[in-house]
Amino acid sequence: MEQYFQIVAGVLLAVVLILSLQKQGQETALLLSVFVCCMVGCLAVGYLRPVLNFIRKLESVGSLDSEMLGTLLKVIGIALIAEISSLICSDSGNSAMGKALQFLASAVIVWLSLPMLTALLNLVEGILGNI
Amino acid sequence: MEIDLIFKIAAVGIIVSILNQVLTRSGRDEQATMTTLAGLVVVLMIVAQKISELFELVKTLFEF
Repeated sequence: MEQYFQIVAGVLLAVVLILSLQKQGQETALLLSVFVCCMVGCLAVGYLRPVLNFIRKLESVGSLDSEMLGTLLKVIGIALIAEISSLICSDSGNSAMGKALQFLASAVIVWLSLPMLTALLNLVEGILGNI
Repeated sequence: MEIDLIFKIAAVGIIVSILNQVLTRSGRDEQATMTTLAGLVVVLMIVAQKISELFELVKTLFEF
């Protein structure tokens, strides 16, 4: 809990530093914002580790298909990285690249969930075939 | 929490901008450009390490 307040204070401080850097060197200001985003992302993902262990435990209790849960976790990871990187692109004034990154992430997510969709189709076919 | 790295990057940016102004005023434009470029590379090395750290962490945690 103590670390949370430290992170918030550090980010607020970094915002002020970025604002002062923006007048002289825009590249360094952008790199500093990228660095802060990565640092906060690392810490946030570190907090998610026990949660994911708990989800794995739930999965073993409910005897769920581990492949489906793995796909779901991958999708979460892709969405996380795509959101951060596209927002950084938008911040630096390149909204088009940010949009393209979002589009790429959507495409990859659909590609990843193709086995799940196929399984759903097979299930529907099986049910309809029985009738 | 690596707050010292934030200060390091900000310090590099400020020093580079000051050097850039001094060199530009004294008429050494190419050296000013080289200084800006060198500072950018130094900061980029630090940031690239952090980016790879984030990506590796997400990769291991979300089981890619």
